[in-house]
Amino acid sequence: MTTQHTTDTEVETIELDCTGLLCPLPVYKAALALGRLQPGERLRLITTDPGALQDVPAMARQRRDTLVSVDSTAGHQTFVIEKGPEQ
Amino acid sequence: MTATTQPMRLTTDLSTRRFSDVRDLLPNVANPSPLVRLNRVLADHDLDTYLKLEWMNPFGSIKDRTAAFLMAGLDRDGLLDGKELVEASSGNTAIALAALASLAGTRLTTTIPDGVPDEKKITLRMLGAEVWETPDDLCPVDNPRDGAIALARALAASEGGERYAPTSQYENKDNIAAHYETTGPEIWRQTEGGVRWFVAAYGTTGTVVGAGRFLKEQDPSIQVVGVEPEPGHRLPGMKSFREASEPAILDRGVIDHSVVVSDDEAYETTRELWRQEALMVGPSTGAVVAAVRTLPTAPGDLVVAISADSGIKYTSYFEDILGEEGRPRL
Repeated sequence: MTTQHTTDTEVETIELDCTGLLCPLPVYKAALALGRLQPGERLRLITTDPGALQDVPAMARQRRDTLVSVDSTAGHQTFVIEKGPEQ
Repeated sequence: MTATTQPMRLTTDLSTRRFSDVRDLLPNVANPSPLVRLNRVLADHDLDTYLKLEWMNPFGSIKDRTAAFLMAGLDRDGLLDGKELVEASSGNTAIALAALASLAGTRLTTTIPDGVPDEKKITLRMLGAEVWETPDDLCPVDNPRDGAIALARALAASEGGERYAPTSQYENKDNIAAHYETTGPEIWRQTEGGVRWFVAAYGTTGTVVGAGRFLKEQDPSIQVVGVEPEPGHRLPGMKSFREASEPAILDRGVIDHSVVVSDDEAYETTRELWRQEALMVGPSTGAVVAAVRTLPTAPGDLVVAISADSGIKYTSYFEDILGEEGRPRL
C-alpha cells in the first residue's frame, strides 16, 4: 500500500493504493485516511477486491462523505471520495 | 522467535508461591482460580453462590486460559513459527495473547471494537500489540455487527497469509478445550461435585460450552446457563446473538437456559458487588449475577458463576454511570 499527495483539479487529493487487500481492509484504511483530511479534500482509493464496490460507497454514506466517482476496469476499482463536513 | 514453552513450576506447594515463569501462574486443576462465596448480594435468594474470580489469573481474565490453549494449538500444528498473531477481541483475549506472544518472541495485531474502554486499548499497546480500533459496522453490507472479526480475517488472508497466524477464537476448538480441560474440572473439584448451576456470559461461547460440557459429562442434571446482553449493549466481551453472528464453536446442546440481561441490570449488580461484597468485578460479572436472580433454582442450590475480569479495566465506563456520585457536595 502506498500513499501520495497530488493536486487534482486544484483539490488536494491523497492516493491510497489498497490493491491486493481484502475487504474490509480497504474500507478501514480509507476511513483512517479520510479522518486525516480536511473537509473538501479528496481521497483517491485503488482496490482490487470486488467487495469494495459495495463497502466503499456504504462507508462514504455512513461517514457523510461524498463519493465523487467510481471506475471499475480490468480488475481494479478506483474511487474518489471527498471528505464531508466535520461531525 | 522462540517456540511456546511449558515452563516447569519450581514447586507444587502453593504456600511458597514461587514460580520460575509467569506462565506457571496460568490456572489449572492444581492451581485453580479461586471461588468466592456471595454472602450479601443474593441474600434474599436461598442459594450457595460462588464467583470464580478469573481476574486473579496472571493476565487478568478468563481469557488467559483461552490464549494459552490457542497459542499451544498453533505451536502443536506448526502454524506459529515466524508469524505474528492476529485476533479479533474485545480486549481480554488480546491482552493474554499479547503477553504470551511477547514471551514467545512474536507480537499480536488485534482488531478491537472501538467501543472497548481505553484502559484495555492502552494495556494492549503497553504490551507491544498493534491495536486496530474497529467500528462494529465496518462492513455494513456483509458483516453488519462483526466488523472486528471480518477485519481480523482480512488481515490473516493478506500478504499471502505469510505474515499472520490467526488464532480465531470464535471458531477454534482449542477455545472449547481450554475450558473443558481447566475451568470445568476446576469447578467440579472445587465444589466436590456439588455444583448444580453453572452460569457464564455469552461471548465467544468457549467458556459456557467447554466448562458446561465437562460438567454435564460428570452429572447430566447440572444446569448450564448462558447470559446474553440486549442488542446495542455496552458490556464488552459479551455478544447479543440478536445482532451478532453465532460463533461456530457454539454448541447449544450443552446449554439449558439462556438469560437476557439489560445494561442497567448488569451495571447495577456490578455496583452491588463492589460495595456489598468488595468484589471489584467487571460489568459482565454483574450481568451473570443478575441472571442468577432469575433462575428457577431450588433452596440451597450451589451456583458457580464466572467472574470473567476485573472492573479496573472499565473505570471510564463506571465514570459515566456514577455521574456526580461520590464527589463532595457544596
